Amino acid sequence: MDSISFRHYPAVRMSANEVVPLLELRNVSKSYPGEVPVPVLKSARLQVARGERIAILGPSGSGKSTILNLLGTLDRPDSGSIHFDGRDLSTLDARELAQLRNRRIGFVFQSHHLLPQCTVLENVLLPTLAETGTSPASAEDRARQLLDRVGLGSRTNHVPGQLSGGERQRTAVVRALINSPLLVLADEPTGALDQANAEVLGDLLVGLNRDESVTLIVVTHSPDLARRMDRIVELRDGALVTS
Amino acid sequence: MTLRDLARRSRRHFWRSHLGLLAGTAVAAAVLVGALVVGDSVRGTLQTRVRERLGFGIATAMDLRDRFVTTNLADGMRSRFPTIGSRALKVGDVLSPFWSPAGELVLPATATRQDGTSRANRVRLHGVTPGFITTLSFRLGSNAPAGNNVWLGEPLARQLQVGIGDSLVFRIHRPGALSREAILSPRDDQSVALRVRVDRILSSAEGGTFGLHTGSGSPMNAFVTYDTLAVAAGLPGRVNLLLGGPLSRMETPRMSDRWKHKTSELRSGGIRSFWNSDLINLSRPLDPESANREMTRILEETWSLEDAEASLRLGTNLSRATGPEFLELSSRRIFIDPPIATAAISVSTNAVATPTPVLTYLVNSISSGDRMVPYSMVTAAGPPYTPADLKDDEILVNTWLAEDLGLHPGDAVQVAYYRADSGTTLVEQTNQFRVRAVIPLEGVHADRSLMPEFPGLAKAESTRDWDAGFDLVHKIRDRDEAYWKQWRGTPKAFINVEAGRRIWGNRFGDFTAVRWFLPPSADAANARQQIAEEIRSRLKPDDLGMVWQPVAEIARRGAASGQDFGGLFIGFSFFLIVASLLLTSMLFQFALDLRLQETGVLLALGWPPRRVRQVLFREGLGVAAIGTVAGALLGLAYAKGILWGLNTLWTGAVAGESLLLFIRIGTVAAGAALGLLVAAATLWISLRNRVAQPARVLLSGTETLDDAGTRRTGSPWVQRGAVLAGIAAVGASAGGLASNSGQKPALFFLAGTSGLVCGILGVRLWIRASRVSPRIAPSLRSIAIRSLRRRPGRCLATILLLACATFLIIAVAANRLDAGKDATERRSGTGGFALWGESSLPVTQDLNSRRGREFYGLDPSAMSRVSVVPLRVRDGDDASCLNLNRAQRPRLLGVSPDSLAQRQAFTFTALETGTPTTNGWNVLLQKPTRGADGIEEIPAVGDANSIQWALGKRLGDRLDYTDERGRPFRIRLVGAVANSILQGNLVIADPDFIRLFPSETGHRAFLLDAPPDSAGAISAQLTRALSDAGLELITTRDRLDRFNSVQNTYLNTFQVLGGLGLLLGSFGLGVLVLRNVQDRRGELALMQALGFEASAIRGLVLREHLVLLLLGLGLGAVSAGIAVMPALLTPGSGIPWSSLSWTLLIVAANGAAWAWVATRRALAAPLLPALREL
Repeated sequence: MDSISFRHYPAVRMSANEVVPLLELRNVSKSYPGEVPVPVLKSARLQVARGERIAILGPSGSGKSTILNLLGTLDRPDSGSIHFDGRDLSTLDARELAQLRNRRIGFVFQSHHLLPQCTVLENVLLPTLAETGTSPASAEDRARQLLDRVGLGSRTNHVPGQLSGGERQRTAVVRALINSPLLVLADEPTGALDQANAEVLGDLLVGLNRDESVTLIVVTHSPDLARRMDRIVELRDGALVTS
Repeated sequence: MTLRDLARRSRRHFWRSHLGLLAGTAVAAAVLVGALVVGDSVRGTLQTRVRERLGFGIATAMDLRDRFVTTNLADGMRSRFPTIGSRALKVGDVLSPFWSPAGELVLPATATRQDGTSRANRVRLHGVTPGFITTLSFRLGSNAPAGNNVWLGEPLARQLQVGIGDSLVFRIHRPGALSREAILSPRDDQSVALRVRVDRILSSAEGGTFGLHTGSGSPMNAFVTYDTLAVAAGLPGRVNLLLGGPLSRMETPRMSDRWKHKTSELRSGGIRSFWNSDLINLSRPLDPESANREMTRILEETWSLEDAEASLRLGTNLSRATGPEFLELSSRRIFIDPPIATAAISVSTNAVATPTPVLTYLVNSISSGDRMVPYSMVTAAGPPYTPADLKDDEILVNTWLAEDLGLHPGDAVQVAYYRADSGTTLVEQTNQFRVRAVIPLEGVHADRSLMPEFPGLAKAESTRDWDAGFDLVHKIRDRDEAYWKQWRGTPKAFINVEAGRRIWGNRFGDFTAVRWFLPPSADAANARQQIAEEIRSRLKPDDLGMVWQPVAEIARRGAASGQDFGGLFIGFSFFLIVASLLLTSMLFQFALDLRLQETGVLLALGWPPRRVRQVLFREGLGVAAIGTVAGALLGLAYAKGILWGLNTLWTGAVAGESLLLFIRIGTVAAGAALGLLVAAATLWISLRNRVAQPARVLLSGTETLDDAGTRRTGSPWVQRGAVLAGIAAVGASAGGLASNSGQKPALFFLAGTSGLVCGILGVRLWIRASRVSPRIAPSLRSIAIRSLRRRPGRCLATILLLACATFLIIAVAANRLDAGKDATERRSGTGGFALWGESSLPVTQDLNSRRGREFYGLDPSAMSRVSVVPLRVRDGDDASCLNLNRAQRPRLLGVSPDSLAQRQAFTFTALETGTPTTNGWNVLLQKPTRGADGIEEIPAVGDANSIQWALGKRLGDRLDYTDERGRPFRIRLVGAVANSILQGNLVIADPDFIRLFPSETGHRAFLLDAPPDSAGAISAQLTRALSDAGLELITTRDRLDRFNSVQNTYLNTFQVLGGLGLLLGSFGLGVLVLRNVQDRRGELALMQALGFEASAIRGLVLREHLVLLLLGLGLGAVSAGIAVMPALLTPGSGIPWSSLSWTLLIVAANGAAWAWVATRRALAAPLLPALREL
């Protein structure tokens, strides 16, 4: 028996031979509000296995960020359901969703969104403050290991203003991984980087996916980055289509 | 890493954007700390003044005023306390300082420089002993004024502008044996002059401002030797003020005693060095109540009949050549005090027969038919002077009278006399008697000692020397003169004692003597001692007004519970605090607006919103804490500034009291803590909805506007709230109008606050409802108004700031009092009277009568249009707003209620429930009631302000007093008059006053009706004519102005502090403009790109914010108008339209200027780069 448990809600138990996707979208629809609602997702379906790397492509306004927000529990679908690790997210309240996001999901944004007042190390440790307000000592060890791994071991006490764009984005990636999430969501992670830094970041994401056994979903316009994923999913007319 | 680390990092990183928060909290904390320190300073100053007034050496006092005990009483009491070295002290012994208690003679006086260039009334001239001086001030040691020298308190020296070596003339009221208001009180020896030389000027610390009562001004004290004053006043061996020092009790020594007492010695400035420190180390100070009880106990053991101004003498009857025949109790005051008489009459020992009360009175005439004998003594007494069965209408006449009038038993005689207490009005009454018998002029009936020592008669050798206190209108014949020479005051007739008591009994007493006839074998000395002891045992000293009061404790309580200036200034600064907090909140939110994405990131990282708020709160709280510390320091400067203002610009608010700065760490800490608490609450409220936006929205960096655009008019509770607040505002205003009593603070604040709430909710509804119709082409104006919807919260905060400022300014202006307005109207605060007068010495003549005016040499024609309402005065605390202490026992005025009721003087704001309201003064005609404990309750009327603020009472409340004879009674507040010249006093009915304080002679306060155009001349004439009485007159308008100046000064203070708040409000408007433009730079850049000129864009922004300004001003003005409506209709108040209009114009111009400057500043930078932000 394998079990997955979150601290504040009951574990989902299933048999070992049963293949459970880490993430599953079942007929998810979402519209932008307004006097005439604009549909973005129409009965979208998707299954993501554990450890899988997926790139989501699509033109501007196709709903890429919307689907990332839905997967990251930052938004709720109008209809349909999203299952994470076998659990229907619509059954969780805001507090449980925040815990899920904190413990099991990591975010990498296009703009790194590092806190300018904090050092690299402190930025990385931010997610660990969510529950008790204090970082455990083990978190700091892990942060230093990860920062060493991404080549920022010597920059731990630097503030974002003292880092290059690539370094900032690598810091953001480490921050996403600090709580050993099952899933990392990256929204245009290389969008603000030059070619060289984009490649380094791509290598880093793939390497971490492999080494940390973390599932990776990347929304990107970059064909180069997309090609390095296991699977490419395109958003067409509100539906997710695997290329 | 912890949240604290993150908060600290954020504070350091975003310090610039937190400057607003820092400044706002600093201002709030400074204002709070400053206000509380001002409160401490006022309290500290008052406590200092109490120490100056009473010194360290005075704990208790027995203030006898018109009663005089012997100097032996103080000596006797002092000897009853064990003294060091007198005997071995034991645990439980109560110790008193060796000089305590000490007695002195203190009399009201006027003082004039010898050259007549300056004068002071209401001087208290003290005849002091060295012991008294030591009690007064340790600094003076055992010195005392000597010979014809006088020591002056600084205030008196200042008033008289004299220095050491100058000569002064004091004129004192010479207390007569008989009340000045009694018939037979001589007219000619009322005052006596005392010429002295100034030897020393006493500072406050040296007792120069000594006084038992709290008042608005400094006491005018002068000190001469006891002998000088006692001789001048004709009161040798008598004192009327006893002072007691602090008492302590010997206790079982403890290990820690020595250390403790050493420190207390240091704390009390080493005053205990007068005592043997080793012994003092084993004693503990008694609490004030216990000390007072102890003094009372010792007094009960010590006092004698002499102290009650009574004496027991052995009398000899003419018929017995040898030995005493009777014992006689008589009084220095002529009429024996009723408690003593009652006690004496009940004494009947084995050694003596039944007591015989005697009342001898001077009658104007005894006549029968056309024959009349003038001015004779008649005695009312029982056996042996009259037969036991003598009827009330029967009279015994002696042979001399019978011969003169040709009387025989059964004849009718008329006895005419002045009513004993008719004073200078001389009401004559005649009674008819039937002659029961003619008695020989011998034996008990030939006793000239039956006539008491009437001051103007007893020593007269001839009837020509008589000073009976009234004109002798009947001719005194040779025969009468011969009788006087031979028989002096031997009564010519005798009546039944009850009949005599009924017609001649008066408030001073019913008997002139009580006699006990001794059996021939009696031991007179033993009987005398026995009777004296019996009388004493039946009396308590407080029956005779000998009451120790814990004056130091009463004064300390008064100072401690006086006007709470801390609270007052927090109230004054309320708007400033609110303004700074609103601004703080706004600036804090602006600072957080710049960090929306950070909030979004934290939420996206799984931080619960609560945690995000927590870290932001910690961040803000840290800044607020720094601001609070800075504010606390600023608060000390602020307090110093306020005190400077109160000592210079706003002296009216503190009645000229010079305030000292007192800083207590506890208060500063409490103020700072309060400031931090308020700041924390503000931050929490600011953050309450801060994290309500979803993370995805915050991450985009564009927070959703306050108005979601889906609600047209806001929630129903807002509508309901607006309606309810409106109803409350109008209702409160109408309530104020209906009460017909001017402005009531509670209704004023309710109306004002409700008006503001109604207005602000209305504006909120209007902003939410204001949409541009799609069918109407948009204009810049409509766009400007619609822009308000973007951030209604910000807009409402700014409107509220401006509305509060406007409200404040109008309310302050409307509540300003002008004594001149309606001053001649009866219903105004002057009562329609032109002059108010107070005299140092009582005026016993009737100033309305021809006789009284002649007595003072007043010009009849000038006085023809003058009428006077005289008031009796029982000194007490000044309960007006000029006294910063809490009045404990206010001064009482006795008035004939009819005299005010007929004039319908003053406006009653309230009367006790159930009292008739046709004429307020009639409430004083109610009969006194008794409380559940049987204590008498006297109805009283006071000034509404005095009752509410100076006394902290309300109608129906009671105040404890003690009457002249030591009986407790209560004043029941049954009526209140609006803002009047009666402030500081409580008014009771004349009959009640006379009954309670029979010794308070004459009148010392006066309300004068006079034509306004001749008030000055009349004032001058009266002041001159009654200069010996020390009469001071001021116009009622000036008197009311003095009281009003307190409120008006408060309002000035309020206005200044409100002005600072207004400055913050205007600054807030400017910040809002800057921030709004910053938010909309992209949009404004677009307008520029579309071809709008820069001036048009500036106009758009300016117009948008001027709408806020106008809304704020309008809302404040309307709310204030509703709230102050009742005040406008109160006599003596009114809106100064001109100055108010100017002020509001300045407010508007100031706001517009800020908006204009901010608009220029915000749009100074190029806009087009901002297009990229769109």
